Amino acid sequence: MAMTSSAGAAGPPTGDGAIVHRDLVFDLSAGEEATFRRADLVVEGVDHAQISYEVRVFLNNRAADDTTARSPDNGYAGRFVVFGHGNCFGAAGHCDSTIAEPSAQSVEPGGGLPHPLAPQTRMLTITEPLRRALASPAGRLESLTFVPIAKAPRRDRRGLAAGLFKCGRISLRTYR
Amino acid sequence: MAIRTSIRGAEQDSARIGLIRRAIARMKAVGDERGYDWFAALHGVSLPIWCEHGSALFLPWHRAYLYYFELAMQTRLGPRFSRVRPADPELAEVGLPWWDWTSPASHSQGLPDAYAAETVDGQPNPLARTTIGSCPGGDAFFVGVWSAALVDAVRTQLEGSISPSGPPETVRDPDPPDELPRAETIDTVVMRQNTYGSFNMSLEQVHGDVHVWVGGSMSQVPVAAYDPIFWTHHAMIDRLWYLWQISDVGRDPPASLLNTVLAPFPMTVADTLDIERLGYDYAVDAIA
Repeated sequence: MAMTSSAGAAGPPTGDGAIVHRDLVFDLSAGEEATFRRADLVVEGVDHAQISYEVRVFLNNRAADDTTARSPDNGYAGRFVVFGHGNCFGAAGHCDSTIAEPSAQSVEPGGGLPHPLAPQTRMLTITEPLRRALASPAGRLESLTFVPIAKAPRRDRRGLAAGLFKCGRISLRTYR
Repeated sequence: MAIRTSIRGAEQDSARIGLIRRAIARMKAVGDERGYDWFAALHGVSLPIWCEHGSALFLPWHRAYLYYFELAMQTRLGPRFSRVRPADPELAEVGLPWWDWTSPASHSQGLPDAYAAETVDGQPNPLARTTIGSCPGGDAFFVGVWSAALVDAVRTQLEGSISPSGPPETVRDPDPPDELPRAETIDTVVMRQNTYGSFNMSLEQVHGDVHVWVGGSMSQVPVAAYDPIFWTHHAMIDRLWYLWQISDVGRDPPASLLNTVLAPFPMTVADTLDIERLGYDYAVDAIA
């Protein structure tokens, strides 16, 4: 139940509902990798309609899962938490963000508030983990693995969960 | 002027923590829009869920939310967010405490004692848990704010977020203390953000960490604000925003955001930017 993204040609998301693969293009040419002072992973289109969950991010470790130690040796880059909307408590259609007017994703005079379930953006600073990945034998960032862990109210109900983590574009933002 | 001090400091001062407990218990007994449950419902169920998450309004909305909640603690809140003379002068300047979950004490013991103790002087601790939709000893016009159907829906859709049977109560199931966010993360990542947007997003992520760390009610948006620790957690978030605001890298939100109304509160983003105008300040107490 991990989502893996790798450097290479961009393509549509694929997967079986639990493990999702997506190709990415991270252009770290032109010596940028040697000079950045900070690197952020920016994940757009993050779904937050269901229960809360966290996403653990691993670099160059396609085998990572919920049992993988969160250590530099395993390419662990950090995690982010999505504070979940908790499913829908309204009538039919109440939480269907797909029918919101496109303009309703921002505050406009007379336009009401943004739809509360509009997808969110998450940012994870991965400066040192990225440096380690670039200094590894691979010499580049080949893959990202996202391991979503359901943060159910009770700890004994937590663990890998299919279908919680859905996202759109993923980008790497570096600062010189 | 309300002075918001750390919960660890307040715990050393029996009079101050006593006032905080009394203010929360008093709000709990108010069955209208000045009461505890009404405020908690603004963040979640019953509908509508007003809170702003994952948006640039996260910090201003929650500052407005705490502002009016604190006025209610101080017995200075009237109907429809109006301000009135304090009904209880002793509570008129009580301030929300902030929980520094990055502190060594938090990383060794977890929840602050003031919020973890089940009883105080033989009585139930109002900071430990709350019974949702109950106004003990009060004029409970809002007792029905959670219908039986809603209680069932929460128990089904968010199993473990409230007590499994009987009157719905808030619950917690915290992770190990050392899993709380670290001071290093705040200092080296969050507080170094140099745009409002990146700071708002970065701090919101840490805020979410603490919600799910507490577990139980706090871990899910629809019921989080019923747990009394919600308010001291958010006071810490608001304090960090204030500290960033007065730091070298602090910036105002973009101009395009300043006139946005923070519904349902009669306040815009611009109105939230100066905490002195809002009548409170943050302080650290060193108790000898």
